[in-house]
Amino acid sequence: MLFNSFHFLIFFPIVTTLYFMLPHRFRWGLLLAASCYFYMAFIPQYILILFITITVDYFAGIGIESAQGNRKRWLLIASIVANVGMLAFFKYFNFANENISALAGFIGWNYPIENLEIILPIGLSFHIFQSLSYTIEVYRGNQKAERHFGYLALYVMFYPQLVAGPIERPQNVLHQLHEEHRFEYQRVADGLKWMAWGMFKKVVIADRMALFVNPIYDSPTGHEGPALAFATIAFAIQIYCDFSGYSDIAFGSAQVMGIRLMKNFNHPYFAKSISEFWRRWHISLSTWFRDYVYIPLGGNRAGMRRMALNLLITFLVSGLWHGANWTFIIWGALHGAYIVINGLTEPLWTRLRNVGFAKRFYPALDGISHLTTFGLVCFAWIFFRASSVTDAFYISTHLFSGWSGFISQSVKLIQEGIQTGFWGVVNGFFASVNTLSDLTRSEITLSVVALFILLYIEIRQYRGNFMEQFNLKRPVIRYVVYSLLITAILVLGTSYTGVAKAFIYFQF
Amino acid sequence: MANSLLKFLRKLLFVTLLVALMVGWIFFATRPDDKHLYQASLLKSRLLKETPSPRIIVVGGSNVAFGIDSELMELELGIPVINDGLHVALGIAPLNEIKSFLQPGDIVIISLEYYNFTDDPSFYGQPQYLADWVEFSPERIWYIHEPYRQMPSIYTIMLQRKINRQLNYYLYGFSYGAGRNFYSGDQFNEHGDFIGHLGQNNQQFAIADSVYPINNIEGAYIFLEEFNQFALSKGATVFYEAQAHRQTNCERTGKKDLDRFFNRLKTRTTIPLLTNLDQLCLPDEYFYDTP
Repeated sequence: MLFNSFHFLIFFPIVTTLYFMLPHRFRWGLLLAASCYFYMAFIPQYILILFITITVDYFAGIGIESAQGNRKRWLLIASIVANVGMLAFFKYFNFANENISALAGFIGWNYPIENLEIILPIGLSFHIFQSLSYTIEVYRGNQKAERHFGYLALYVMFYPQLVAGPIERPQNVLHQLHEEHRFEYQRVADGLKWMAWGMFKKVVIADRMALFVNPIYDSPTGHEGPALAFATIAFAIQIYCDFSGYSDIAFGSAQVMGIRLMKNFNHPYFAKSISEFWRRWHISLSTWFRDYVYIPLGGNRAGMRRMALNLLITFLVSGLWHGANWTFIIWGALHGAYIVINGLTEPLWTRLRNVGFAKRFYPALDGISHLTTFGLVCFAWIFFRASSVTDAFYISTHLFSGWSGFISQSVKLIQEGIQTGFWGVVNGFFASVNTLSDLTRSEITLSVVALFILLYIEIRQYRGNFMEQFNLKRPVIRYVVYSLLITAILVLGTSYTGVAKAFIYFQF
Repeated sequence: MANSLLKFLRKLLFVTLLVALMVGWIFFATRPDDKHLYQASLLKSRLLKETPSPRIIVVGGSNVAFGIDSELMELELGIPVINDGLHVALGIAPLNEIKSFLQPGDIVIISLEYYNFTDDPSFYGQPQYLADWVEFSPERIWYIHEPYRQMPSIYTIMLQRKINRQLNYYLYGFSYGAGRNFYSGDQFNEHGDFIGHLGQNNQQFAIADSVYPINNIEGAYIFLEEFNQFALSKGATVFYEAQAHRQTNCERTGKKDLDRFFNRLKTRTTIPLLTNLDQLCLPDEYFYDTP
């Protein structure tokens, strides 16, 4: 079930109402049943995969807690193998098989194994990682083994974060599931506000950006630098609004029921370095890889070279986690390289910034850092979004072509417009945008307005707790704003284009 | 908790009312686009309602709207002919509309496009187009396949299209729609034939390549047969006329696929076919596109 569907619009109030009506002892059952229903709205039979991993981890958790020494380690390994094996089979088998087959063809070997006709279960990488974090934390002694199968199943399957995270840790969520949560006005209202804001980001901004991105990325060879660059920036906005929008809806819907999930995004595009970007982007996954891959590999404890290698490995695995495609691996490798270079040059930058006269240029240096970081992130997004490595290389090598033609044409169009007054300038602007994309003027205008709203809210949130400040405003203002937000979600969506609207991260 | 819940419900009701006001204002204040091609659907509905029986109703997509000369047919056959073809994306919704107007003695000729047989949405109609069709005549919501399930998306799309249309109207300096050329609702004759392209130098426009896979949509044949039985129960007769195909397209689609399509029509429905496979592939030069 998609959050941005009418199905969910009916599902959510029914489940929430029943949740508050039922005595606490029955609530886990209701939430588990609702989560099963939520998941089975996609491909029902894949619920069995979840059942298998939960069962394995349930017994592994209890076994690990009571075992010692090697037996304890072997139980953890069994759990990891079962979980990763499931992921390997459904997500990576065909990818590996295709590559082996291509290699075999290259050396003239008749490779007999065909690809499997399987569909990747929705959100598999998310719930496998969440399930794994449970057994690892029990192994580390940070979490007691859960004896109630239902609660463990609910921890893995809790519907707000089932298909696209945040990837939670048992220490944060399991105890909250056991606790009784009463209806509290402010908490419920704030949860709904998070949901509405997330929905706005997804439906009004991300889906609208897709109208610009998809035609260009679907056939990049027909486009020059300006269109490719704008589409890449639009994709950066699209994926942020899509994924953080999903996370806000997940956070809000869980908060309504009294469960506080971790925040998955913290204004990542305001980061001044790549390492800061990764502390702000998909935080639950970054910290998962930090805690369960990077640190166990040795982290930064074994010298600079080893640290660089560990970082590269971690980001390559992160790329592969996102998708079984070379484009994602290159995306991961790029970020790995960025972060290694970032780590190596950081002491130099710190020293430079501390030189007396440099302090006068702090705002400019900060601006350059913001832009450089955003530029590097956008460049990597090319590989994330492109359908193939060939397309990605075409886009990245043509980013700087055709700019002079575009600029001179745009200047000419606007200059011509100036001669005929205000509407002439407006026409010139739209004509200039239409040299990149054939969106209508309403789509362009709504995109620009929505982006200004996003930027305003992001800056306000970045500088302080915007929601708390907003809650202090006069009720009339607040309710008009809420109503406008909901109306915008209804009337400014892009369903009218007939383009599919699933969340990008569902595919992972 | 009771106080907290009451406070919440009171505020929720207030916000819901405000949203309903805003949405209602957008919904009722924005009129349908009077130059839209689907404006002609009102003429077609009127013809279905007012033309006395017996009559011939030809229904399909733009292949029918652009492709037949109802006036000539009427002259030759001596009974009124209604061209109820409009747009392929409406799928079978116009067929459901016809059901309400069928009278004894009516002859219905169905000529769906091959595109309708590519997948379910193409057969039952695509929401973004159905929304425009319903906007012209609200009771048409009941002619849509699974109306209760489709209603939320149809009305949401309708609202979104209204907003975009109104914004475009202002942003294009009140000239929005000029780019649609003669594809307008006022370019139909009194039989429902599209005539806007007549007299234009259309031959210079090569027809776009558009060969669609003809898939086995199980519901399609069930629907057609149910329609046939319904028409028979009303004393009407139904025929199926396969869409004419360019020779090149016939070759691309493949004889096997076309054979299979004809066989399915013959074996799964009892609707008599007016065309056989040998007659539907016509020389390329018979076809042209419009600007």
